[in-house]
Amino acid sequence: MQSKKIVIDPVTRIEGHAKITIDLGEDGAVADARLHVTQFRGFEKMCEGRPLNEMPALTARTCGICPVSHVIAATKACDAIMAIRPPKAARNIRRIVNLAQMVQSHALNFYHLSTPDLLYGFDASKEERNIFKMMQTHPEMAKDGIKLRAFGQKIIEQLGGKRIHPEWIVPGGVSHPLSQEKKNTIVEELPEALEIAQRALSFFKENLSRFSQEIENFASYPSLFMALVGKDGRLEHYDGVLQFIDAEGNVLEEAIDPAEYKEYIGEAVESDSYLKSPYYKPMGYPQGMYRVGALARLNIASHCGTPLADKELEEFKKINGGKPVLQSFYYHYARLIEIIYALERIEELLQEEESLDPNIRASGGVNRLHGVGCSEAPRGTLFHDYTVTQDGVMERVNMIIATGNNNLAMNAGVKQVAQAFVDPANISDGALNRVEAVIRCFDPCLSCSTHALGIVSSQIELRDHKRKLLQVFTRN
Amino acid sequence: MRIIIGYGNPLRGEDAFGIDVLRALEKKKLKDTKLLELFELTPELVLKLLDANKLVFIDASYSAEYSYTLATPLHIETSSHLSHHISPLVIVSALKTLYAKELEFEIFSMMTSEFEQIKNHKKYQSKVQTLATFLGLD
Repeated sequence: MQSKKIVIDPVTRIEGHAKITIDLGEDGAVADARLHVTQFRGFEKMCEGRPLNEMPALTARTCGICPVSHVIAATKACDAIMAIRPPKAARNIRRIVNLAQMVQSHALNFYHLSTPDLLYGFDASKEERNIFKMMQTHPEMAKDGIKLRAFGQKIIEQLGGKRIHPEWIVPGGVSHPLSQEKKNTIVEELPEALEIAQRALSFFKENLSRFSQEIENFASYPSLFMALVGKDGRLEHYDGVLQFIDAEGNVLEEAIDPAEYKEYIGEAVESDSYLKSPYYKPMGYPQGMYRVGALARLNIASHCGTPLADKELEEFKKINGGKPVLQSFYYHYARLIEIIYALERIEELLQEEESLDPNIRASGGVNRLHGVGCSEAPRGTLFHDYTVTQDGVMERVNMIIATGNNNLAMNAGVKQVAQAFVDPANISDGALNRVEAVIRCFDPCLSCSTHALGIVSSQIELRDHKRKLLQVFTRN
Repeated sequence: MRIIIGYGNPLRGEDAFGIDVLRALEKKKLKDTKLLELFELTPELVLKLLDANKLVFIDASYSAEYSYTLATPLHIETSSHLSHHISPLVIVSALKTLYAKELEFEIFSMMTSEFEQIKNHKKYQSKVQTLATFLGLD
């Protein structure tokens, strides 16, 4: 059989612009498959020469979806350069906003991007498998998705000033204290949000048995995992230490100071993608492939520290007998548990007396010329690494974005799914949908990871081994 | 109440067309009109539109051939393109299907191939003012 290449360009229902190529070997079987990110903006370069205190607002513009994550990492890098620790109230408020971001982002992925596949199946026709159909057949679920997202956004808006690019989080802390009134507004709505999240998780668990094939083939392989974790093993999104574990759950590196990330993470560059390929340095490239995000966080954390999430985590950890869950389909599961955790934790933080403390900002100048800010974004661990002049002007910026951390894992997942589902002699829409869906498990934000905002359209090209175009499939 | 939604990224050159039209409209102090400036359209926006009786969406659309042409697209993107942001059609459909609000709506796009800078300030500003004047007549 003639060797040929299938190109899915661009991939739909992910943020940003990407294409997938599937290479067929001489025997006609899928030999390789790759995700290519085809947009570039170069935010790191744009930041050079800017004053340090502009960085949170500037880097937040990397993305309209997860600006909070960039603000958090940026302000933490600024804190490090100023050698100051924000007061407890400020740290709590930052944590709350970060968790609210987790709620709205995970809700968007579940309800608006993934639920059509989960409701109607991966083989359903495009006319049946979309958000319009979902609104018709499951209106209450669609409204749940809107409400949950609105709630997360409302918290960000209440605490951050505005929901897309909040300006309340600043170097040294936050700019305004939390008022009792705002606190009450959020607390009042928490029970309903929690009910919605629990309904979503129940739906997901009840339907898991329908997706055994996808569970086994959607980026299901041994890999390392990396995440921040609390010192007692608790789930952590704002602070803590970095940890790497292997597929058996063995801790490779414990209690890594995130500022030392370069000792452990290398960034490889491939010629066919603007998305870098970070890897665990001690194992080399590409053997040092690791996964980040909700699945990694739950695999690494021993407990969540909140009652409902802990109960769910216990059940989650039984999937692989207490060892790390290796199937990326369970990213969906992990995200839903994290929503429950985030809502519980937001309430805990709001109820802490210190959260209303008016002392919310420490001040200082440039006390170090280098600083690293690290936090967990919805899609995984995010690093902002700044070097400044004595006057506080940015000399060098390096950002490792959550989605980038998963690049090698996404590529391995695309290949696995293509080999499992794509029949080169009869390429079905269901198979191509699965190839895209495995990427959606990771919920990539390519706008962030390449520091660009792209256009998503939909086309599949079939090419031979010399990359000659054989056929074009229009996916929409 | 008419709600006019301008969306785009002000850091991305002509992608900010919707935002700039809103800023021009702000000066007109239009009656019974609410202006909403957004980075992109997201699902929870529907909750802010429940009081509207008419919606206007303003954005920039890609076209290499017809830069600085104002258009009202006849074919609207569907949710198959659903990324982390959504299309006006999803918003309008959600209002109708989920909240029984069938609204009259219009979409105005400025065609552009330039999403990194404002390539021709004179032409760009002219289109901003043209649309702002047109919407101000309503």
